[in-house]
Amino acid sequence: MPPHPLLDRRSFLGHAATGLSGIALTALLAEQRLLAADKKPLRPVIQPEAPLAPRPPHFPAKAKRVLTIFCSGAVSHVDTFDYKAELIKRHGQPLPGADKLITFQGEQGNLVRPIWPFKRRGQSGKMVSELLPRLAELADEMCFIHSMTAKSNTHGPAENQMSTGFTLDGFPSVGAWVTYALGSECRDLPAFVAIPDPRGVPQIGPNNWGNAFLPAVFQGTPFTADKPIPHLNRPARLSAAADSKTREFLQRLNAEHAAARPGDSELAARIASYELAAKMQLRAAEVGDLSRESKATHELYGTGDANKIKAGFARNCLLARRLLERDVRFVQLFNGSYAMGEGVGNWDGHKTIEAQYNVHGPILDQPCAALLTDLKRTGLLKDTLVVWVTEFGRMPTFQKGASGRDHNPKGFTVWLAGAGVRRAFSYGATDEFGYQAVEKVATIYDLHATILHLLGLDHERLTFYHNGIERRLTDVHGHVLDAILT
Amino acid sequence: MKYQTIYLRILSWLITLAAPLHARELDFAREVRPILAKHCLACHGAEKQRGGLRLDRKSLALQGGDSGKAIVPGQPKASLLLQRASSTAPAEQMPPKGERLSAAELGTLTAWIQAGAPWPEDKASLARHWALEPVRRPTVPTVVSASSPIDAFIVQRLQQQGLTPSPEADRAVLIRRLKFGLLGLPPTPQEVEEFVADRSPMAYAQLVERYLASPHFGERWGRHWLDVVRYAESNGFETNQPRRNAWPYRDWVIQSFNHDRPYDQFIHEQLAGDSLGADAATGFLVAGAWDEVKSPDVVLTAQQRADELHDMVATTGATFLGLTVGCARCHAHKFDPIPQLDYYRLKAVFADVQHGERPMRGVDPTRQLQALRVRAELTALESKLRTAEPLADPGATIPRRPAVTAQHNSERFRPIRAKYVRFVVLETNQYEPCLDELEIFTSGDRPVNVALASAGARATSSGDYSASPSLHRLEFIHDGQYGNSRSWISNQVGRGRVEIELREAVEIDRIVWARDRQERFADRLATRYRIDVSLDRNTWTVVASSEDRFPFGTPQSGMIPPAESVEWLRLNQQVRELRRQLLTLEAPQLVYAGRFTAPEPTYRLHRGDPMQPREAVGPGALTEVGPSLSIPANATGPQRREALARWITAPTHPLTPRVMVNRLWHYHFGAGLVDTPSDFGLNGGTPSHPELLDWLGAELVDSGWSLKHIHRLIVTSATYRQSSKAHPEGLAKDAQTRLLWRYPPRRIEAEALRDAILFVSGQLDTRMGGPGFDLFQPNTNYVKVYTPKAEFGPAEFRRMVYEHKPRMVVDDTFGVFDCPDGGQIAPKRNVSTTPRQALNLLNSPFLLQQADLFAERVMREVGSVPAAQVERAFRLAFQRAPTSSERVAAESLVSEHGLPSLCRALLNANEFIYLD
Repeated sequence: MPPHPLLDRRSFLGHAATGLSGIALTALLAEQRLLAADKKPLRPVIQPEAPLAPRPPHFPAKAKRVLTIFCSGAVSHVDTFDYKAELIKRHGQPLPGADKLITFQGEQGNLVRPIWPFKRRGQSGKMVSELLPRLAELADEMCFIHSMTAKSNTHGPAENQMSTGFTLDGFPSVGAWVTYALGSECRDLPAFVAIPDPRGVPQIGPNNWGNAFLPAVFQGTPFTADKPIPHLNRPARLSAAADSKTREFLQRLNAEHAAARPGDSELAARIASYELAAKMQLRAAEVGDLSRESKATHELYGTGDANKIKAGFARNCLLARRLLERDVRFVQLFNGSYAMGEGVGNWDGHKTIEAQYNVHGPILDQPCAALLTDLKRTGLLKDTLVVWVTEFGRMPTFQKGASGRDHNPKGFTVWLAGAGVRRAFSYGATDEFGYQAVEKVATIYDLHATILHLLGLDHERLTFYHNGIERRLTDVHGHVLDAILT
Repeated sequence: MKYQTIYLRILSWLITLAAPLHARELDFAREVRPILAKHCLACHGAEKQRGGLRLDRKSLALQGGDSGKAIVPGQPKASLLLQRASSTAPAEQMPPKGERLSAAELGTLTAWIQAGAPWPEDKASLARHWALEPVRRPTVPTVVSASSPIDAFIVQRLQQQGLTPSPEADRAVLIRRLKFGLLGLPPTPQEVEEFVADRSPMAYAQLVERYLASPHFGERWGRHWLDVVRYAESNGFETNQPRRNAWPYRDWVIQSFNHDRPYDQFIHEQLAGDSLGADAATGFLVAGAWDEVKSPDVVLTAQQRADELHDMVATTGATFLGLTVGCARCHAHKFDPIPQLDYYRLKAVFADVQHGERPMRGVDPTRQLQALRVRAELTALESKLRTAEPLADPGATIPRRPAVTAQHNSERFRPIRAKYVRFVVLETNQYEPCLDELEIFTSGDRPVNVALASAGARATSSGDYSASPSLHRLEFIHDGQYGNSRSWISNQVGRGRVEIELREAVEIDRIVWARDRQERFADRLATRYRIDVSLDRNTWTVVASSEDRFPFGTPQSGMIPPAESVEWLRLNQQVRELRRQLLTLEAPQLVYAGRFTAPEPTYRLHRGDPMQPREAVGPGALTEVGPSLSIPANATGPQRREALARWITAPTHPLTPRVMVNRLWHYHFGAGLVDTPSDFGLNGGTPSHPELLDWLGAELVDSGWSLKHIHRLIVTSATYRQSSKAHPEGLAKDAQTRLLWRYPPRRIEAEALRDAILFVSGQLDTRMGGPGFDLFQPNTNYVKVYTPKAEFGPAEFRRMVYEHKPRMVVDDTFGVFDCPDGGQIAPKRNVSTTPRQALNLLNSPFLLQQADLFAERVMREVGSVPAAQVERAFRLAFQRAPTSSERVAAESLVSEHGLPSLCRALLNANEFIYLD
């Protein structure tokens, strides 16, 4: 359909400014409708022989690639990024209405002020706590969403929702959707890389980077700075000569086989996959070789830190930058692993949050801040979208009889940075205690719609037909958070 | 008036803007009906007609309601539907509550009414959707060249497109296709040779019969079925703990296909096997994910339960009916005639089902046989053990016998005649001593426990523990029952004495005692004791004591037994292990097939939200699809599920037979006649050969629901047997091969690939059934961590359908070949190609090991001459001889880098992994 002049959003908003509410409403309706008139599924066309070939977005994109930093276990927003003066003032008093409130683990104790003091940061003066001092100093780069909500208050379904849009098992991850839509500019590395924490895989493990019912080619490839891509390297017991001669022989077999079967493109695809695998072996070794980085860079990230977990996470952060630099489409970096006991291994601070976060905070802070700084320094941040998430928040109260905070999906904070999002901006708000999102309440669907939007994708049109339904990352929900866009 | 003005303005705008859309035909079913379903049908549908308006039927909708015409074709301004839907007046706006229609939706409705409200009732309206019409056996077209009814339908359609079928594939190709298709395994070189050499016209038909009768058939088709029903052997979600007893369902499925269990019975048992003597079959109901993380939070708990039942409703609808019933959870189905209430009627059918295990009833002959075998072995070992046991030496001062344990202690001594036996406790590890049973055995070949009360013995003691007399009594020390709850405890801390008076003086040589043979308690253990015997109660002879035992608590490594007891210790260990096995074998087998309660009440949930229950809903089936069904509201759970099964399997049901024959077709040809195997609704695919689908459906019902009958029809057809070779004309007219002008070539699935590798390397272990093997390292964290095994042995060399398959975690080597994860149903698999597949097949420990084993096999079979090795390796992997150029290249590879290198290449080859 040729673009109708009325399609122009800005001219409509111009009309709206004239104060003719009827017209303004009509204009808005019309604009949405005409856009919607073509809200038909827009399934990417996948060439079987090059399923990861780059594909154009639906409309011009602000971001070319995405880095998500997933803090598994649920980071307490009231102790990190969501400053609440009233919570400090009412420390030790009950949360109004909490006498009837049963959260995940049960009854509530009293309100507890942030355990780490908040301070004004950067030019914006954003209040961020001392738990993450180096990240706090980067507050001017960040775009906070303080009114995030999740559908479940238990880790499994909630991590599913954050990573796949659905609380149930079995739906494709955000990274799988993105690579399905856009393919990759980087031919010799996986299009979608998941980097688990040095302590182990996150809760719900591979669901975070699974392809579910999308073709397996779009699943994330998990590896870390210390654990390379599975089966990447030629096993030591095979000589290089034997390996290369075997592969030559194989390609020859395959070539003859395909020549006798003209017109079967899948055979060509499989031959190409062996060539790609060979390139990937070289390129993945190169990208994982952190020794090519300067001493200053290593120090910035803390890769040599005496804390082995922190050093491992720092190496993972550095690996993430190297992957993004090489145009890997989607990098999913994890901080925190599966539960090895409550709050051990991840951010699930139920019982002794202070002691637990004093372990987890320093592991995250310096390496993550270094990564953001480095992305900015190298210019990558201009067209890379960074999304820091956790599956839900925590209560402003302590649990009854404990010194930690229970799960809270009713309000929590995530932040974005980089391509297409406003700097030093805060969107939405929780109530005076940080308990519930009350202002510009946002959903994970909205977050996902916005991520896709920044990549030039219409979340209502990016679909995959599975068993009777044109499936979407955002199900039948989601609104792009226009206010946070530049 | 103000509202009215704004409304008219909006409408005028909408009409103006809708104008360019007129050229485009609006699809009622796909674009308009979903809007009505989402916003209107809850109050103006089949169940309720608020204001006398019903919008789910064309005639009724055009009639309008109490307020007038809802839809005036061609006149959006006159249509109340649009006036109300776009109104901003609280009193008149529709819907009165909840989400309003979006601008986009209003626009679509406006354009639709403007265009005359086209509502295609006669052809494609809901009730007339082809899949919901009864199956009518069509007349088989007369096609001269067709050799079977299937071929007649196929050829007729090809001719319409100016295409002809391909000639029959050559026999080596055919046998490979057939064996992979029916059994999921490659043929052996010998099988191929015999088949190629057999010139009998019956050769192919005989081969088909042989494969249909093979037990591997059920393994192959069972794996397909497990995809369809989202089967996996762990809970999923955060903890993802294994379900160790899920496998009986998998075995039941395999056996069902092998025995050609009629498909109607197959369905009945999966839905209601608990009342049909097929306990394992209801594993179907609970094969999906289950969140075991529980909370006092009522919202979470209600949501979890709603999700569990949703999984059962949605899977039942998709599996047997090919309908996406799950879509009606929040509102009427957007495309298909499934009102929201129907979803809740079905939910009520499953309201008695809870996730979990229950004991299987009935005798399992395999287990019974195993138990007999173990028992015989145990008896033999026990008698050996008796004679090997070191004699107690009451006079000894140096420890030589093992330390006492809470579970079992034996004292063997030289045969001695006795009428009285005393067990004197001198010290315990804690508290008053406890003996669960004291056994005194006669000497000789057939020892008898003469201490039993039932053998006439009497017990006295120094004093009995008075608390918990139901658990601890003197008489329990010789009642023949083990365990803490049938035991004697002394009344003194650390001390006590029991005396058994035998019925008569006999020769004895062994006494066995323990604290708790059921291994639950380890306190109250006699750590110092003495046993003496007497004929007259005056003269006592010590026969055994703790003095010659290692001190209590000495670790195994610290007990260096004298040479004569090494054998005894070994036997002892074996006996214990066998006893443990016997206990498991004789206990009822548990199966993860659901636990049943009284049906919970079911309510319609507004917008599917478990915190917004509305009216109560009784059990029932779909009301606008298939035959009608009424189930009494007070029906028990099994009655509800049986009734639903009867409804699904009614011979007149339009969906059940069509859906199943299409599944079989799908797996034989790589695509179904309907290419959406679990969606036969309006949003699903259109059949490529509707008459053929109906003909097969009629065959299924008329054959008494025999699936093997359908398999036979398909694989003996010329359509199945034709060559897969492409030609430009076919590719130009039908690149997807939907019309089957050739057999569509395709990649074999992950499981078939792994099985084939093991088969070719000669390592495949064909044992069927029982608990699965693990491809992940053991791990006991409460959030199960799945770390792939890096080394494999014979335990992992069974067919992959016997893998203990975790949910959401796929095998490290083969998972990336589009293996489903068990999260959602997988009625058809993707086929995607990625470099990681190449890396896994080139470098994974599994593949390298198999390449080595393949090479060893070849050497074993043909010796060390490279030419012979190359020949054999090609025949095993590809069932053909190498071409001369392949031979030269392969021999050079073997002579320079060894036979395993060739084997590694062959297992990676396209020819190995693709079917012609």
